Amino acid sequence: MAATTTTSRFDVRAVVRRELAPRKRWQNIYGYLFLTPWLIGFLGLFIGPGVTSIYLSLTKYDVLSAPEFIGFANYVKMFTDDPLFWPSIWRTAYYAGVGVPLGVLGSMFLSILLNNKIRALPAYRTLFFMPSLVPIVASVVLWKWLLNDDFGIVNQGLRNLGIMDPPGWFGDRRWAIPSLIMMGLWQGIGGTRMIIFLAGLQGIPEELYEAASIDGASAWSKLWNVTIPLLTPTIFFNMILGIIGGLQTFTAAFVATEGGPGFATWFFSLHLYKQAFDYWNMGYAAALAWFFAVIIVSLTVWQMRLSSRWVFYYGG
Amino acid sequence: MANQISRRAFLRGSLLVTGGLLAACAAPAASEPAPAASSGGEAASDAAAAPAAEDILLRWDTFRGVGTPWNEERIASFKELYPNVTIEFRPLTDAVQQNNYAKMYASHAAGDLGELCAFDPSHFHFWRAIDKNIIMPIDDLVAADDTDLSEWYDVFMGLQSYQGQQYGLPSWGWAGYDTLVTNAAHFKEAGIELPDVNAREVSLDTIAEWANSFYKENERFGLFVGHGEGNLVPLTRAFGGDLINADGTQCTLVDDPGSVEALRWAYKLSVEDKVLPAVGVIENVASAQVEGKLTMNWGGSLNVRNLDRDIKATGTDPSVAEVSQILLPALPDGRFPSQLRGGTWNIRQGSEHADVAYQFLKHIAGKDGSISFNLVGGNFAAVRPDTLEALIADNPIHEWFLTSLENGMPAHAPANSRGREYTDAVVQYTDLLLDPNQPIPFEEGLQQLQDQIQAVLDMDPA
Repeated sequence: MAATTTTSRFDVRAVVRRELAPRKRWQNIYGYLFLTPWLIGFLGLFIGPGVTSIYLSLTKYDVLSAPEFIGFANYVKMFTDDPLFWPSIWRTAYYAGVGVPLGVLGSMFLSILLNNKIRALPAYRTLFFMPSLVPIVASVVLWKWLLNDDFGIVNQGLRNLGIMDPPGWFGDRRWAIPSLIMMGLWQGIGGTRMIIFLAGLQGIPEELYEAASIDGASAWSKLWNVTIPLLTPTIFFNMILGIIGGLQTFTAAFVATEGGPGFATWFFSLHLYKQAFDYWNMGYAAALAWFFAVIIVSLTVWQMRLSSRWVFYYGG
Repeated sequence: MANQISRRAFLRGSLLVTGGLLAACAAPAASEPAPAASSGGEAASDAAAAPAAEDILLRWDTFRGVGTPWNEERIASFKELYPNVTIEFRPLTDAVQQNNYAKMYASHAAGDLGELCAFDPSHFHFWRAIDKNIIMPIDDLVAADDTDLSEWYDVFMGLQSYQGQQYGLPSWGWAGYDTLVTNAAHFKEAGIELPDVNAREVSLDTIAEWANSFYKENERFGLFVGHGEGNLVPLTRAFGGDLINADGTQCTLVDDPGSVEALRWAYKLSVEDKVLPAVGVIENVASAQVEGKLTMNWGGSLNVRNLDRDIKATGTDPSVAEVSQILLPALPDGRFPSQLRGGTWNIRQGSEHADVAYQFLKHIAGKDGSISFNLVGGNFAAVRPDTLEALIADNPIHEWFLTSLENGMPAHAPANSRGREYTDAVVQYTDLLLDPNQPIPFEEGLQQLQDQIQAVLDMDPA
């Protein structure tokens, strides 16, 4: 038996050698060489810095001096000696917890409306998509004008309606995050998320609606029992991306409020940025980044597990 | 068909192009930083001599003057003096000046920082740049060149000094927020006689009264006081206090009666009277003044000159906006509440041609360079007495600030070089203290501000 096995192994190798004739081998080499630029980028710009940042998170590092190994001190500091750490997490959770569900639901219902056969449909779709094309900085400038406490058009309108003490919006600690959420909704509801929902809606087989109609289902019943169940994979996809994006929120707060007033919009990503590029605590910032990565991955895995309870794949 | 490229040839070509691109992306060979010179190093010995005849390239990394013809004008005029020297202008373009330091630090770490650069004391990076061995002392270069440092105001020259050594020549400087930039049109409209622009006869109580009387709900504010470090220092000094001590180690808010009085004055106007704009209401103070939405801005000489420029540039009707100023009252000891701040030009540590770089420093910080920095570059550089005549001839408003320059109070900086942490703590916790929307008790807000600033000052050196 042993001799047979040896012969068998030998045969396999011989076959492999025959198959990988020089021409074929060269093709493989070319293939790998063709992949090389991407591999270099992936290793050098993603994996390399990623792994390095794990090490840096265990050091005291300011870019200008060599990293000094300090063990888990950065992680300990994060949880015990950083007065801005927990509040920044709470603010970020607030922003994502309110903004993402509103945004996903808004996009879904907007896409359902824009999936009807109405006149000038492309014009409506374009109109709703347009805010998402506005650069975020321009959007911030626009909304800061609109929501200006004393001179803004929104508060002028509210005063005309008899609300004599309207919100201070971006300048008011209570209203700063809601203002950012409003701005995000204006820009995000009609954006790519709506397009993804439209694609999802157009993938729902027409015969299901026809069958529901034959059974006497109302429009609401069709929405509740056909459309939404078959949209759950799209809702799930948009929720995952939305939560990741919401937790990473940075630009609007950085441009609109710079974390203020009085730290009211000091989100986690802003805290991380400040530590890294303003305060030059690169080691600590790396620790914050890894903590954040773990949170985001955990949330995503948790959502994936929960999805089996409410996501319905037609024909799957 | 014969011209078709085979897949193999295409792949080979791709590889060649990729390899070429990767090679091109490699960092340029940078000169190795030399060990810290005690004061200019060997280069200094040649400083007095004219630059050598060999072709010399110096790189000038700066955010100053960017967007104006000033940098090119200085380079061209230097080229006329030293034809063998090429200055490569590498603009740093972030509109927030502070943000450009990240690029400069990264350049330094990569060995690519230009021989000519500026780590500004006003931005709190100067001391860190010295501690980290980024910029070199210039004492030997000054001595070899026999430069007369008295050409610059002492106070600005002093800002470029650290641990007994000189690290740069002053480029820009002013007295900080030492005045109330005033819209004279509102005073005329109210029938109030305008104070003399050169007098210091208006009390802070009167200013508070005017902040209330000029305020018109949802139309106009009588006074704007920012919450930044640049605002808080002259505010506390106007009442005889200060924000931090001269050593930069102690926050002096709660222990100094003058500082407490200053912040109580601002708290009353902002939180109790609610006549100061809340955060974010006035995004652009200069525009608000041009539009007649603000009567007095607690600002500085630069703001006065710029408001005058903006009013003229926009053709604003004098009944809407007309520039004036109200100087802060003198302190009992005769000093004027202010915060003399200045920037500097430095030479990178280890520069091969420090002597030539020094000549260029003199060229941009000298009389002509300084004048054109103002008139061509649109900056404010009242750092040399010999430039004032030209500046006043260009705009008499420059004369309004001489007293503050001559009798002002220098800026204090955190001893640990934690500038950004310091300024962030000041602005965010002052937002909390002076928040009219969600007021907190004065003592609580003041103590919080004190504690957080002190926490920054207690940090390890950056």
